[in-house]
Amino acid sequence: MNGLPASRPPAEMASWHRLHPLSPLVRTGRHLVGLGVVVLILIFANHSSGGGGNLIGDIVVAAVVLVAGVISWLVTRWQVADGVLRIDTGLIRRDSRRFPLSQVQAIDVVQTGLARVLGLAELRLRMAGADSSGGRLACLRLADAERLREQLLSMAHAPTPTAPVGTAGAAGSPVAPSQVGGTERMLFRVRSERLAGAIILSRTGAYAAAVIVAVVLIVALTGKPSVIVPFLAFAIGVVLSVWRQFNTEFGTVVAAAPDGLRLRSGLVQTTAETIRPGRVQAVRIVEPLIWRAFGWCRLEVDVAGPRQRRENRSEGQRLRALIPVGSRAEAEQMLGELLKTPPMPSRRAPGRARWKAPLSYHFLAWAGDDQYVAAARGRVCRQTTWVPLEKVQSIRWVQGPLQRRLGLASVRLDVAGKRVTGSVQDRDVAEANEILARLPDLARAARARGLVR
Amino acid sequence: MTVEDPGVRWQRPSHLLLRARRIQTGLVTAPVALIGGLIAGTAGSAPVGLGVGLGLVVVGLLWERFLARRVAAWGYAERRDDLMVKRGVLIRRQSVIPYGRMQFIDVTAGPVERSLGLATLRMHTAAAASDARIPGLDKADAAKLRDQLATLGEAQAAGL
Repeated sequence: MNGLPASRPPAEMASWHRLHPLSPLVRTGRHLVGLGVVVLILIFANHSSGGGGNLIGDIVVAAVVLVAGVISWLVTRWQVADGVLRIDTGLIRRDSRRFPLSQVQAIDVVQTGLARVLGLAELRLRMAGADSSGGRLACLRLADAERLREQLLSMAHAPTPTAPVGTAGAAGSPVAPSQVGGTERMLFRVRSERLAGAIILSRTGAYAAAVIVAVVLIVALTGKPSVIVPFLAFAIGVVLSVWRQFNTEFGTVVAAAPDGLRLRSGLVQTTAETIRPGRVQAVRIVEPLIWRAFGWCRLEVDVAGPRQRRENRSEGQRLRALIPVGSRAEAEQMLGELLKTPPMPSRRAPGRARWKAPLSYHFLAWAGDDQYVAAARGRVCRQTTWVPLEKVQSIRWVQGPLQRRLGLASVRLDVAGKRVTGSVQDRDVAEANEILARLPDLARAARARGLVR
Repeated sequence: MTVEDPGVRWQRPSHLLLRARRIQTGLVTAPVALIGGLIAGTAGSAPVGLGVGLGLVVVGLLWERFLARRVAAWGYAERRDDLMVKRGVLIRRQSVIPYGRMQFIDVTAGPVERSLGLATLRMHTAAAASDARIPGLDKADAAKLRDQLATLGEAQAAGL
């Protein structure tokens, strides 16, 4: 039913498939676990009063959730035909969705904790659209999911002429599915102790530390632990956010494969993503103040399409971290892997920019060639952004009142999505004008090259 | 003027845009001044209410003085491969949107704009940050420009 024979002719792939029979359990698993926790708390709380009615009610709710999951499994089926993945679902309101594989930005294999135990995995398709409802196939057997991903990716590759950006040894020829997987080249592996340290020293960690200190102080001062009960939910939330970050970024491994960069990460919930070459919209290196003391930095890429993990909505402006934390050298090596010849921001802002940006002046700089623009900004949290000119959507020239008085102007380069803007801040007006005059042509030339390739 | 380029021929929105903006300002100022004056009048004394009301009217009038410059700052230029839009007095902005990057274009018209036969043209790219709109275009001009831009965009369309 869900089995995908290894060497499957296209005709067989075109038939309808079901998801794995255990998938309702996995899909509702999170809710069931949450419900279980609630039940346990209730039992614990009602221990003395002995209220059994709640328990029965909760079991009924759990059963309803599970039955709904089974029905949803029964009516869900998928098919790959003519380069289009079709997912039909819905009992009362039929929902038939088509995902043209040529539009796929990336395909992820995600394993939640429960799915991992059962050897299942979820396949997520990332499309270019702005809403987060890409295609989801939950769940398949892990091996099947990986094979299907490779097949889909190779199908997605075939008609598009895009070539890898800077992945050496991976020429842009369409790759046969069987070849994929064997020829990975390891690029980066995060060190767990450094990740733990970095998270503790990051903003999330600082919040968590502040909350823990506050809780301890309150308990110590009042001597009554019950005082903290109202803040417990908040405290748990903060601790969970630290855990979540550690969980998602733990064991991040980046490898170069013929079909793009393979990114795997996760402690309990593991994720495997493939970032297709030529889909990188922007690269950013972030160096927070405290991290700089250790020479650490974070390298993030912006890929078109939404970040899909729903539980990470609060981290919406955070991008996909290829290097959650690493040394500057590692980041620069990865940068070279992503971009062919990344320019380093070297042209400092004019001295009078100090009046407008007294703090960030220290790092304000930019550089550009006919392929990329690099811009650095930020004082406490230094951010260096590389934008391929090929990907620039629009260019904006902005001048505020203070900048006008100082004879400065900024130029912003917008790329798809709402998260990253390459911002060449506080340049001399003449220079900004020149950038604005020349960049559109350079960008067009870069686009044309990209199409030819 | 921000970036002077002899090859760029700037076009301006319709002269009716100023009138539309004035009407909009009036429509906002009058009720705000009235309600503000009434609240101040009931809370304090009648002269206070009158003062607050008149003060708000003066603010509206000052804003009106500023409007002319704001309206005059709008401009757009159709170049060979991209559209340039400039705007703003206090914060000056100039955007360049390549035709090939336009995802879709829409023409909208609010009640005031509609009564004067105006429309606002808005261009959308895949980037949420790129804001490109041209307000106060003559309705026919807006429709023509939209079709023109759509054709150009189709001819030069590029993927993400």
